[in-house]
Amino acid sequence: MSLGITLTGRALSLFGVLIVVLFMLVVALGATGFSDRILGAIVNEEMRGIREGLAQTIRNPDELEQVLNTQREEREKLYGLDKKWHQRLPDMLWRLMVLDLGEARTLRSFDGSPKVITIVLERLPYTMILITTASIITAVAGLAIGVKLATNVGSKIDRIVSYMSAVSYALPAWWTGILLILIFAFQLRLLPSGGLHSTPPPEHTLLRLVDLIYHAILPIMTLVLVSLGAWTYTVRTMVLNTAQEFFITVARAKGLSERKVTLKYILRVAAPPLVTNLVLGLAASLGGSILTETVFNWPGMGRLYYDAILAADEAVIVALTFIFALLYVTARFVLEVLYLILDPRIRYS
Amino acid sequence: MDTKDFLTTMLRSGSGKAGVALLFIIVVTSISVVLLFPMDFGSKSWNNPAVWADNPKSAPPFWAELFMGNNSIAHTVFEVSPRQTQDKLMEHYSFPYEYNRNIPPTFTTLSFTDITFHNRPPSIELNVIRPDGREIVLYQQVIRGPRPDEISPYKRFEETPLRVFLTSESKTLVSLSDFLEAEFDLKSSPEELSGLVEQIIFGQPSDEGNLKFVPLKGVYDFQILSYMNDPHDSLGKLKLVIGGNSFGFMGTDSAGRDLALGLLFGFPVALIIGLATSIFATAIGATLGIISGFKGNKTDVIIQRFSDIWSNVPLLPILIFLIFILGQKLWVVVVIMILFGWPGLTIVVRTMVLQIRTGQLVEATKALGASNTRIMFRHILFQIAPFVLAQMMFFTPAAILAEAGLSFLGLGDPSIPTWGQILESGFRTGAVYLGYWWWIMPPGVLIVITAMTFVLITLGLEPAINPKLRLEKQ
Repeated sequence: MSLGITLTGRALSLFGVLIVVLFMLVVALGATGFSDRILGAIVNEEMRGIREGLAQTIRNPDELEQVLNTQREEREKLYGLDKKWHQRLPDMLWRLMVLDLGEARTLRSFDGSPKVITIVLERLPYTMILITTASIITAVAGLAIGVKLATNVGSKIDRIVSYMSAVSYALPAWWTGILLILIFAFQLRLLPSGGLHSTPPPEHTLLRLVDLIYHAILPIMTLVLVSLGAWTYTVRTMVLNTAQEFFITVARAKGLSERKVTLKYILRVAAPPLVTNLVLGLAASLGGSILTETVFNWPGMGRLYYDAILAADEAVIVALTFIFALLYVTARFVLEVLYLILDPRIRYS
Repeated sequence: MDTKDFLTTMLRSGSGKAGVALLFIIVVTSISVVLLFPMDFGSKSWNNPAVWADNPKSAPPFWAELFMGNNSIAHTVFEVSPRQTQDKLMEHYSFPYEYNRNIPPTFTTLSFTDITFHNRPPSIELNVIRPDGREIVLYQQVIRGPRPDEISPYKRFEETPLRVFLTSESKTLVSLSDFLEAEFDLKSSPEELSGLVEQIIFGQPSDEGNLKFVPLKGVYDFQILSYMNDPHDSLGKLKLVIGGNSFGFMGTDSAGRDLALGLLFGFPVALIIGLATSIFATAIGATLGIISGFKGNKTDVIIQRFSDIWSNVPLLPILIFLIFILGQKLWVVVVIMILFGWPGLTIVVRTMVLQIRTGQLVEATKALGASNTRIMFRHILFQIAPFVLAQMMFFTPAAILAEAGLSFLGLGDPSIPTWGQILESGFRTGAVYLGYWWWIMPPGVLIVITAMTFVLITLGLEPAINPKLRLEKQ
């Protein structure tokens, strides 16, 4: 019962995040007149099509203008351009909620569609590949190293990693990416400097996959490098805190193997706060992917964001901001559930 | 723990010492820059191509030759501001230039400013006498005469100098063509010589023929002659630039901008961005946290719910969106970062205040009749102050890095150059792929060092903070 309440509470809170983001988007768009311009552009685009169509059948120019004017008024009413932006607000909120993201002005999907939702959806998997792979590598490597360090507190390696974690906090992902390009792509000529595939891409599906992995190494390495230090340090501290508890001493006194003590006693107890930290790292890696993809010319949503800024394509920028928030909120919810599963205190209280 | 103990504890640790030393350097540099640079440096100088026109483009720093072998040519600028010509109508300025390298200079320009004449227009001439004794007339120009409705004295090139890019100047090409024919019996059309100007001036035809030249080493005497027609005529400034392939302490970018200046200007900007954001965000966060924890009840619930939601908004996408909509201004970036920076602290401070509130100190103060405000901001704040200070230091690099990231995406404030923007222009124009390390490395290194400074100080503060106050997040 209480599990349901807790979960509902978290869901509501995260839904609140989404609403806040939506609200900010809509107010910023409306108050600055951006939304008027976007909708106006859509209407103009549609009117051009209608004019071409009607010009074939209606020969009289005056009559044509009259018909077009009524058509335009209808359309403006449809999009709510006859009302002020704050009256249109609920409608705009709804539009974003149901992912009716409109059409991009200049950006196109790989097969030429201007629909924002199509463009975003075909970029989404590429971003997910980067973020999930990098997160998994970071989580696993951090756990392994962190636990190791916690058993050797004060050693040389321990101190080096502590400092490394401080450095990695000060290291911007994008600059690290540029450095890696300079080193691995230009000095050593080992890895490609960016892109998704070699040109021309290999024909065979398996080879294409290998080629994709080959191109993903540097961006993933960048994302791992900038988050590994801090994460390892967190694991080390959490494990260290738990290892000093009495029940660990008892477990050792019982003669349990060190492996069992670490896995079943220390990590099991440290798991919930560790998951929390992993969740907090997620925001950074989502944001980081915008910059990393830009540096590596990786055609995910982050690179799309950069292209949309360069092209000043409002529809895409709005859509991406919302999708990033949506992704973040969804991922957070999944991890909240995971937290509940890991922490029996909440389940049984 | 009083302030003095607090500082000595911090300075006892290695990282605290390093952090404070670095901060000292950054602050001193920032103050000097603020005092020495004009405040409109960004719009007036940095983004004004005319200022950098005489610099070599994408040139490495002068010390780079230590690593790259001895093939660098120093960038040489000859400049004179002639005094008001009194009696001599013909003035003659001589600039000796020693040339002993195997490659020619990268370009040559002549510019002159602020010419005043009263009667007939003056003329200007640039000659060079080469080590082999031969003389070349490189450029001759009669200043444009009076317009029909113009009244004496006539002024020319007052604001913007007349800048002659001899490397592609047609007059120079013609006279070089004549020179080659007269001196070396080498026939060529001026068009053929385009791109060879420096090779011809600083060389002689090689035996291979076919417009190939070998360097002629020695002292070149560049002479600028000005002919005036009236004793009151005057000439403002003369500048002859012999372009090198290295420049200054930090090199130049593809627009010829002196990177050293841009990097220096970045110091106060980064410091202000970081500190302004962290100070205000920390102030808001701590205040709301104290109120939330101390007042409890409805106030607490409202503040906590709001912080919870607000702290979960993904910052970078929202920052990008808002800057795109509201315009690329630095203060907007700072304000947005403040608005989104406080909730994390509010949540932690509240937990700490909940503990302190039930303590005997607060009880005693209350019994003495202290007001709520006094208890909150005199007694509770005082206890959590070290922690809040550490949080402030920890938040500073986050703000600096966020702004740098935003600038890197091309959303920086165009009127204020920052390290992120220097990197962005380098990245956008392909400096990464061309290997212009002097353009890519220093701004990144400076960002990392500045961010690192505050991380080190935070690490140094750690032992100074009462460990009991540091609650592990559940």
